Amino acid sequence: MASFFGRLKAGNGPASPASSAPPAKKDPNAPQLTPLEKLLQDAGPVRADGSDKFFGFENFGSTCYCNSIVQCLYYSVPFREQVINFPARSPPEALERPATGPLPRLNTNLLPDANAQNSTLSPKGRNSFSAPNAASPRKPVLTPGGTIIPGQPQKPEDNKDSPEYKKKQALAAGPVLSMDYENSKAYGMSESLFSALKDIFEAVIAHPSHIGVVSPHKFLEILRRENEMFRTPMHQDAHEFLNLLLNEVVENVEHFSKTRVHEIEDKDTNATISQSDAVVNGTAPSNIGWVHELFEGTLTSETRCLTCENTSQRDEAFLDLSVDLEQHSSVTSCLRKFSEEEMLCERNKFHCDKCGGLQEAEKRMKVKRLPRILALHLKRFKYTEDLQRLQKLFHRVVYPYYLRLFNTTDDAEDPDRLYELYAVVVHIGGGPYHGHYVSIIKTQDRGWLLFDDEMVEPVDKAYVRRFFGGEDQLACAYVLFYQETTEEAMMKEQEEESLAAAEQAAEVNTEPISVTTPKANGLGLANGHDHNLATTPTVEKDDQFASLNHAVTAPALHTGEHSNNLEHVATSIPILGKRQSNIASKKEKAERVKEEKERKAMEKELEKQAKAKRKELEVQRRELFRKQEEDLRAALAASRESATEENKKRGKDGGAELPELEKDKSANGLGSISKGSGLSRFRHSSMSLRHKPKFWSGSKDDRKDDPEMPSTPVVAEVEQAAQGTPGKEEKKNRFSLGRKKSTFHL
Amino acid sequence: MFVLPPPPRYPVAGYPGAPGGGQLIETNNTLTHPTGPEHQLVVGEGTYVLRDNLHLATPPPHPSEAPVHNPNPLATTVSPPTAGTKLSIVVVAPRQQSHSRLFRLDTANSTRSQVPPSIQESPNESNSQASDAGSQSVNGNGVTAAPREGLHAPAFGSGNSALAVLNGKDSKDPLKRRKPKSNIVKSNSSFVSRVIPHEALTKRLQEHNPNGLYAFANVNRALQWLDLTSSTKEEHFTKILFTKAHALCHDVNQSTKGPGHVDIILGFSTGDIIWYEPMSQKYTRINKNGAINSTAVSDIRWLPNSENLFLAAHMDGSLIVYDKEKEDAPFVAEDQEQVQAETEKKARLVVKKSVNSKNQKFNPVSYWKTSNSKINAFAFSPDCRHVAVVSEDGSFRIIDFLKEQLLHQYMSYYGGMICVCWSPDGRYVVTGGQDDLVSIWSLEDSMLVARCQGHNSWVTAVQFDPWRCDERNYRIGSVGEDCRLLLWDFSVGMLHRPRAASVRQRSSVTSATLKMQRTRTDGSNTRLRSNSNLTSGSMLDEEEVVHEVEPRARTAMLPPVMAKKVDEHPLCWLGFEEDCIMTSCSNGHIRTYDRPKEGAGSEEVSTTASASNA
Repeated sequence: MASFFGRLKAGNGPASPASSAPPAKKDPNAPQLTPLEKLLQDAGPVRADGSDKFFGFENFGSTCYCNSIVQCLYYSVPFREQVINFPARSPPEALERPATGPLPRLNTNLLPDANAQNSTLSPKGRNSFSAPNAASPRKPVLTPGGTIIPGQPQKPEDNKDSPEYKKKQALAAGPVLSMDYENSKAYGMSESLFSALKDIFEAVIAHPSHIGVVSPHKFLEILRRENEMFRTPMHQDAHEFLNLLLNEVVENVEHFSKTRVHEIEDKDTNATISQSDAVVNGTAPSNIGWVHELFEGTLTSETRCLTCENTSQRDEAFLDLSVDLEQHSSVTSCLRKFSEEEMLCERNKFHCDKCGGLQEAEKRMKVKRLPRILALHLKRFKYTEDLQRLQKLFHRVVYPYYLRLFNTTDDAEDPDRLYELYAVVVHIGGGPYHGHYVSIIKTQDRGWLLFDDEMVEPVDKAYVRRFFGGEDQLACAYVLFYQETTEEAMMKEQEEESLAAAEQAAEVNTEPISVTTPKANGLGLANGHDHNLATTPTVEKDDQFASLNHAVTAPALHTGEHSNNLEHVATSIPILGKRQSNIASKKEKAERVKEEKERKAMEKELEKQAKAKRKELEVQRRELFRKQEEDLRAALAASRESATEENKKRGKDGGAELPELEKDKSANGLGSISKGSGLSRFRHSSMSLRHKPKFWSGSKDDRKDDPEMPSTPVVAEVEQAAQGTPGKEEKKNRFSLGRKKSTFHL
Repeated sequence: MFVLPPPPRYPVAGYPGAPGGGQLIETNNTLTHPTGPEHQLVVGEGTYVLRDNLHLATPPPHPSEAPVHNPNPLATTVSPPTAGTKLSIVVVAPRQQSHSRLFRLDTANSTRSQVPPSIQESPNESNSQASDAGSQSVNGNGVTAAPREGLHAPAFGSGNSALAVLNGKDSKDPLKRRKPKSNIVKSNSSFVSRVIPHEALTKRLQEHNPNGLYAFANVNRALQWLDLTSSTKEEHFTKILFTKAHALCHDVNQSTKGPGHVDIILGFSTGDIIWYEPMSQKYTRINKNGAINSTAVSDIRWLPNSENLFLAAHMDGSLIVYDKEKEDAPFVAEDQEQVQAETEKKARLVVKKSVNSKNQKFNPVSYWKTSNSKINAFAFSPDCRHVAVVSEDGSFRIIDFLKEQLLHQYMSYYGGMICVCWSPDGRYVVTGGQDDLVSIWSLEDSMLVARCQGHNSWVTAVQFDPWRCDERNYRIGSVGEDCRLLLWDFSVGMLHRPRAASVRQRSSVTSATLKMQRTRTDGSNTRLRSNSNLTSGSMLDEEEVVHEVEPRARTAMLPPVMAKKVDEHPLCWLGFEEDCIMTSCSNGHIRTYDRPKEGAGSEEVSTTASASNA
């Protein structure tokens, strides 16, 4: 019975934003559409490229570092495309799916939506750490009836505006994609962070709903299995994670193509290559370096020995740039400082090959090859010597929506490359050892959105600028993602944005009630002032949904009425001609309302038809799918056999293979020195400034110390961390690679 | 999660009679005189020494507007726009302005020669407004106002009889200044919360040196009228507290000022505009509740030499000319224009209402739209013909406002543009923006001349120092979010050097110049026609209107001659006066630096200093 219901729900999936509307109509007490749902009301059928998917990520207790970064990567369009298409676009039938697969798992996942109320009220705290096990961590609470959106009144203490409430709601509303399976075999790969990431992307893209929540169990499981430092339920560094993830992906992809080449050679002798492997073979070796193509740039470090005046150059690759911060500066200036000359002296002398020996030298690093995606890490966590620990820098660092690099070498190609800001990872909290990460991301055609774990909410463009930092700003930008763009694209986008803003203004003006109601916090109607319109800062208002309207399907109804609508605004002003315009506008308004109604009715009709059709298709598809599934299962079984054989054959060198990993896992209990060697994947480490050598050495010392004195609220956590000696061992290993990181890892 | 407590901005004390106690109270301005080398600016011509640091008290929020404490730092509630402290400075007795020599007609002619003389010019000779303004300053003050060359330019809208009639109507009695209608002290408008005049206001007004500086400064929701030459300058003349609206910009009318009269206009975050006359404490509210445009006013200025008209930039990209004495009427784009605007999407300057419209009974006088993105600032050229407009989308436009025509559109290197200013001779325009650069543009060559790199953050204000400019050498000052004041010298000679050579040698100098020529010709091929909906016709069809971004390799980079952190907070305004440099910050600190003793006013010193620095 439950499974039947679940399946039905899945069938309804594609219309999920729309389908939540009818019950709302039936029940006046039903909760209103979330801002995201409102935004997506006009969204058409799902696209194949995943650009119209807005899924939150479930937080399993301080996994926000992972959620925020994965979201940023998902909306890095070329990255997403590559992830889906590497090694080759898998045929959708070949992949296990969380929601569409006729498996019992589906039920446990979808039941919580069936009783949103219960799960909302259930004491399940999102902060409770749940181990990434195969079972869903959510407590499925059964209620009879199972209305999708219950009409029961909310608990009064549940503030509807609180993010906690919204997150619970998002989880409850679903659909929830429980990513506790893996398709690596179908990709022809071994299980890895990359395959898990691909699983997530594939599942999100393939899901018929525009919105939902992803539970990245498998991804976290692999992450924690392979990386000691992420194993604790502690707050982690998002940039650290980004770096690890990118390097992992590089490694996984390289590893895959190596083995692939190997396999192709063996192909003749080994006849057990699975069906899906065969699909992959043709394209695989051609595009191995795509992560490099996207994120990698080259830095040239020029060192001039002050003794012999000999200049030596060295090129280094980077996947992201870590820049030191100054109070009241800009990203531009941080980048320029990054490339300023620095003296290598005293303890930090340079070994000159020419004069042989340690010499004083001048060094500067400039960008020689500009990356397509520029990930900028603002080093907000800095070791302070007087406090003997890392501290968060609340410096105000402004970042523009568009950027060019000043610190390029003279021979750099396209030194004037224009970048646009498209994602910001924000750290909220007073220090490096705790807090929360969210990301704010510009999506292809829905403007800027705030991704806060499970919750996804549209925000205005100006919102992005709230995280410059400053003395009383807890939330500051921590990682900025810029991607290359062109001036034409920039102009076009700005035009569209502002046009949308103007349209929004027009719409706002037609519905004066909606203008004032959101301002219920006393801003709108204070003292019954007659200027309730004036109180709404319209520009900001416009901006709020500025970019939300460029959807192609948006009704063109309101265009051009902007100026007319201004008439309504002015009706309180006693002037000649006012009457007339008032009447005219009223008439207009009535007409518009009528039109609106008609249009809505039409839409509804269409929606109904579409739904019926979709349902039909769904049934057909499922039938087909089942058949294919059976075929596939046979194929998969065969491939699994071959895989195990291969594993045996390959033995030790396949570090990421499953049996190997299990061994590793048990070893980790004792100490992770063995893991240290695996960390050589950090060869593409981020580049850092070494202006002040004393900081460098200071923080080095610090790393040997234990962080016994963090801020008070986290004492318990830190104690726990202090016991984790293996973690420290690992730390040392990591940093011995000449990588300067201001963060301390627990 | 521990929370860093925000620094207490107000003394937290019980407000007598206030409900709930713990109310925040009004505090007084404070004046300090810090000394020491960290408060000195060392430049080639000498040392500027900090005279004093005036901190304007931030007013507490209006009782009905208790600050909303949202514990959620991610709250998506939209807060209204606000602005840091800016000053409008006025000297009531027109001085024989030492910098008037810089408003050179001969040099500016070259700029103007670019623009063919308007057909409107001859009827303008008998223009009532301009001559009125001229005669006014003679009659009213007994001193001839510095003859601005604007007198040679036709007055705005002078070709329109509908406008002229209305203006001419009251100009019968030029001696008597018209005052706004309502008394601000007795006002029961909910817009104005409180007016706090100084207890000895009349006495202090009498004592005021007519050559001294009056300043109008906005802090949060307050506007303060200060006497900067008074020994007790921290005591404001009048302080007006608005209920919730913040004054974002203001300007004093230089052509109507007098010992007994100062016209000031204020643009608010709510879109309202107030015309205020501080001596009589009268005011008039324009664009009430956003009747004409409901978006905040980001910049506002009196039209040069106009008594009544001023231009306001609204945040939706509209530029609106208002008449201080006209009533608001709900604005509808005049029909044919609107149709055209709608059809001609490519129009770079949509004239929604032309100054030549016959319908001039109510505000607005004219209504233009540059784009939909926020206008951050604009500035009128010294020849009173052009206005330079900078926007959040990074565009920088030169508009012939007399002809309501877009002449040029440039782009920043990247990011929005924040501030703009004309050289005293009108040959150069300087902009500052989110690319941390001060950019110098030449109008004669209609191109970017140099980029000045030195700020560590966004540039929020640029100004020419007219006392240190001559025909060949220019002194520019700029302040930014990095709390620093930078001074730049550039000379015409330097600018005519091959630009590629003045930067560090790049690999592709020759190819770059070739490329430049190519793009130039390309540009003229693909140029956009100027708007055909302009009444004065397209005189500038031959000009290319939209200019491309110059690559870095082809542009001269200019280093600053002085860079100094002068404040703890991001700076937002900069002013040059004959005897001092003034800066103000987002937090209400106004710092005044005395010019070096011997260098002040001495032309030779300034020339050599700037030449050696350039």
